[in-house]
Amino acid sequence: MNFINGALAIALLVLCNAAWSQSAPAGDAADGKRAYLADGCFICHGRAGQGGAMNYPAPPLAQMGYSAEVLKTILRAGLNDMPAYAEAVLSDKDVADIHAYLRVLPGRRDAKDIPLLNQ
Amino acid sequence: MSKDSHDLPGAGRRNFLKGVTLTGAAALTPAMMAQAQPPEKPAARPVPLPNIAAETLPPRADPVIQTSSGGDFMVDVLKTLDIDYLAMNCASSFRGLHEAVVNYGMNVKPEILTCPHEEIAVSMAQGYAKIEGKPMAVICHGTVGLQHASMALYNAWCDRVPVYLMIGNILDGDKRAPGVEWTHSAIDPAALVRDFVKWDDQPASLQHFAESAVRAYKVATTPPMAPVLLSLDAELQENPIPDRDRLRIPKYTKVVPPVADSGAIAEAAKLLVAAQNPVLICDRMARTPAGMARLVELAEALQCAVVDQGGRMNFPSRHPLNQTFRRLALVGEADVILAIEMNDLFGAVNAFSDRIERSTRPLYKPGTKIVTLGSRDLYLKANYQDFGRFNEVDLAIAGDGEASLPALTEAVKRLVSADHKSAFEARGKRLGQAHLATREKSKSDATIGWDASPISVARMCMELYAQIKDEDWSLVGSSINLSWPKRLWNMDRSYRWNGYSGGAGIGYNAPASAGAALANKGHGRISVAIQGDGDLMFVPSTLWTAAHHRIPILYMVQNNRAYHQEYMYLHAMAARHGRGISNAHIGTTLTNPNVDYAAMAKSFGVYAEGPITDPKDLGPAIKRAVAVLKRGEPALIDVITDPR
Repeated sequence: MNFINGALAIALLVLCNAAWSQSAPAGDAADGKRAYLADGCFICHGRAGQGGAMNYPAPPLAQMGYSAEVLKTILRAGLNDMPAYAEAVLSDKDVADIHAYLRVLPGRRDAKDIPLLNQ
Repeated sequence: MSKDSHDLPGAGRRNFLKGVTLTGAAALTPAMMAQAQPPEKPAARPVPLPNIAAETLPPRADPVIQTSSGGDFMVDVLKTLDIDYLAMNCASSFRGLHEAVVNYGMNVKPEILTCPHEEIAVSMAQGYAKIEGKPMAVICHGTVGLQHASMALYNAWCDRVPVYLMIGNILDGDKRAPGVEWTHSAIDPAALVRDFVKWDDQPASLQHFAESAVRAYKVATTPPMAPVLLSLDAELQENPIPDRDRLRIPKYTKVVPPVADSGAIAEAAKLLVAAQNPVLICDRMARTPAGMARLVELAEALQCAVVDQGGRMNFPSRHPLNQTFRRLALVGEADVILAIEMNDLFGAVNAFSDRIERSTRPLYKPGTKIVTLGSRDLYLKANYQDFGRFNEVDLAIAGDGEASLPALTEAVKRLVSADHKSAFEARGKRLGQAHLATREKSKSDATIGWDASPISVARMCMELYAQIKDEDWSLVGSSINLSWPKRLWNMDRSYRWNGYSGGAGIGYNAPASAGAALANKGHGRISVAIQGDGDLMFVPSTLWTAAHHRIPILYMVQNNRAYHQEYMYLHAMAARHGRGISNAHIGTTLTNPNVDYAAMAKSFGVYAEGPITDPKDLGPAIKRAVAVLKRGEPALIDVITDPR
C-alpha cells in the first residue's frame, strides 16, 4: 500500500467509523504524553512529533490535522511500515489521549524565522 | 625457503627455536645414527659411540642473515601499482611482507595504517576508494584475520568498491610451527569469502605473485568493481629471492570501462526524447568526479526528473531537476524510466508492504518503458542475494553508466527539435517549482522540535552545516536513513557525499568515514560524518587509528542510545503479535549505563566534547571541533538526539 492508496483507504475507513466518532472518549493530553512515550509512538515519530523514518518516512504528527477518529482508524489498520495497534495493546482511551497530546505539541514554526534553515 | 634434503625433521626455518633446534640436532645426531643403524644384536652393556659427525663433518649451513626477501620483491610490485596505503592489524603470517614494507619500502607507497581490527582496515579501504578513485591495500591473517574482515569485505562487495586484500598463510605443513601456526593456516583460505570477492589467487612463486598482483589490481578496478584477494605464503614472503634477475613485474594497463552499444544508446535516446515524463534513477553511477557533470548534462538536455538513490554522489542536491524526495509520485507518472547503475531496481519502482501477508505492487503504470544501463548485468554470483529481486525491463543496456552517458547525451541532443525544446523547458520549469516546494516543506518539517532536548536530528545537521558550509567539506558517512543533509544541504560536488555501506553491515560507518577522510586530507578537504552510536560501538577503536594517523574527521555522534532501526522493527512485531508494545527497548537500546562517547574518544587521543543535550550548545562546540580538524586532527561530538 503506498501513501496515496493508504490515504484513500483511510478516508473510507473514516466514513465507516463515523458511529465511533459520536462516542469517542475525550482525550487527556497529560495521559497522552505518557502513552506516546511509554507505548513507543516516539520511536518513529519523534518526541516532538517531528516525524522520522523507518523504511518509509514516518510523517510529522505534532499539531496533526487528523481528527481523533481518523487517528484511531489509522492505528487500527496500520499504514506502510506502521503496524496495526489492536485494542488489546492500545485502548480507545489511549488513542484519544495521544491525539490530545499531539494537538498540544508546539508543531511547526515559520522556517523563515530560523536562520540555520535558510543557508 | 627451499627445504634442503639434508635438513633434519623439525629443523625448518619457521621453527621459533631454530638456532637451538639445529644445535640440538647436531648433538642428537649420534643417537639418531644409532637409531638408523641398530645393532644386529643387543649389547649387554651399551657402549657410547664416538660423536663422529660432530667431530669430522663441516658445520651445517644455517644462515642467520639474508640480504633480500620475497617480501622485498612484493613491495617492488606493489609500488608499481601506485598503492598509497596498506591498512592492517599486525599478524605473524605476513611478518615477512610487513617487515619489507617498513624497512625495504621505507613505509612509503604503501604506508602502513595501523588498525586495531581487520574490519576497520577493510572498511577504511572501502571509504577511501570511493573518494580517491583507486584501491587501498589491506593485509590480514588468512584465517582469523580474514574472519574478522569478512563482513567489511561483504559491504565492499555489495557497494561495488575495489579493495586490494592480501592475507598471510603457511602452505607447507612441514614448515609450520606446532600450535598456532596450524590453527592460522588453511589449504584454501579464500574459500571463506569467495562468494564476495571478484577474484582470488594463492601464488606459488614470486613471479606468479607479480603477475597475480597486477591482474588482481586490474580485475578489482574494472567495472563492475569489487574486492580481490591474494593469499601470500609466508615462506614466499620471508625467504631470500633465489634469482632476482629472472623476476619480471608486468606492466599494469587500465581496462577502459565498457561503453554501451551505440544502437542501444540510440534506442534509449529515442524513448527518452519522445517521453512526456521521463525519469532518470541512479544509484552507484558516479564513480569519478566526471559522473555528476555527465548526469547533469543529460538531465538538462531532457529537462527531466532525476532521482538519486545515493549510492554515490550522482546529482547536485539543489539542482532544480533533483526530485529525489518525490520518487513515489514520479515513478507513478513516468512513461519512460532510465535506471542507471541500480543495485535494487525492483525496490525503486515497486512498493513493498511489510505486513503479515507481505506484498508488492508496481509503482509505475502499465506501459511504462523501463530501460537499464549499467555493468551489473555483466557479473553477479549466486549465493548472497545482493542483486535484488528481478524486475522486467524493456531495454537492458550493458555498459558502464558513467562511461556511457556522454554518448547517450549526444544521441539525445541530436534528436531534440525546437518543438521538443519548448516542451522540455515547460517541464523543467514545473520540476523546478516542485523542487523548491519540496525544499520548503523540508524546512518546515525541520522546525518541529527545533529547540527540543533530546536534540532533533534536523537541528543537529543544520548546526553542523552552518559551521562547514564555507569550507571545502565532504560528508563521508551517515547514520541509517538520515535524509536531512540531502534535503537541506547544498551538495554540489562529487565528494560532498560518499555513499552507503552496500551490505548494511553495522560497523561500516566509523572506519569507512575515516578512510574517506584520509583521502580527503590529501585534497585539503574537511570531512564530517554523522555517526550512529550503535555503529560506533562495533568499532570504537577506529578513533585510535584516526588519532594515530592524524586523520582530520569530525564524528557527530547521533546518540539515540539504541540500535534504532531494530527498535522500530521490534516495536512493530510486538504490535502485530498483540502482546504489549512497551518492551521493545529490551535488546535494542544502549542504556543503563549510558555510554560516554566523548570520554571514550579522549581515551583514544581524539578531541571530544559532550554529551550535548542543549541545542544551543551545539554551534560553539562544532566550531571548536572544526578548528581541531583544521589542525589536521580528528574530533568527536557526542550529541544526545531524538531517534531519527
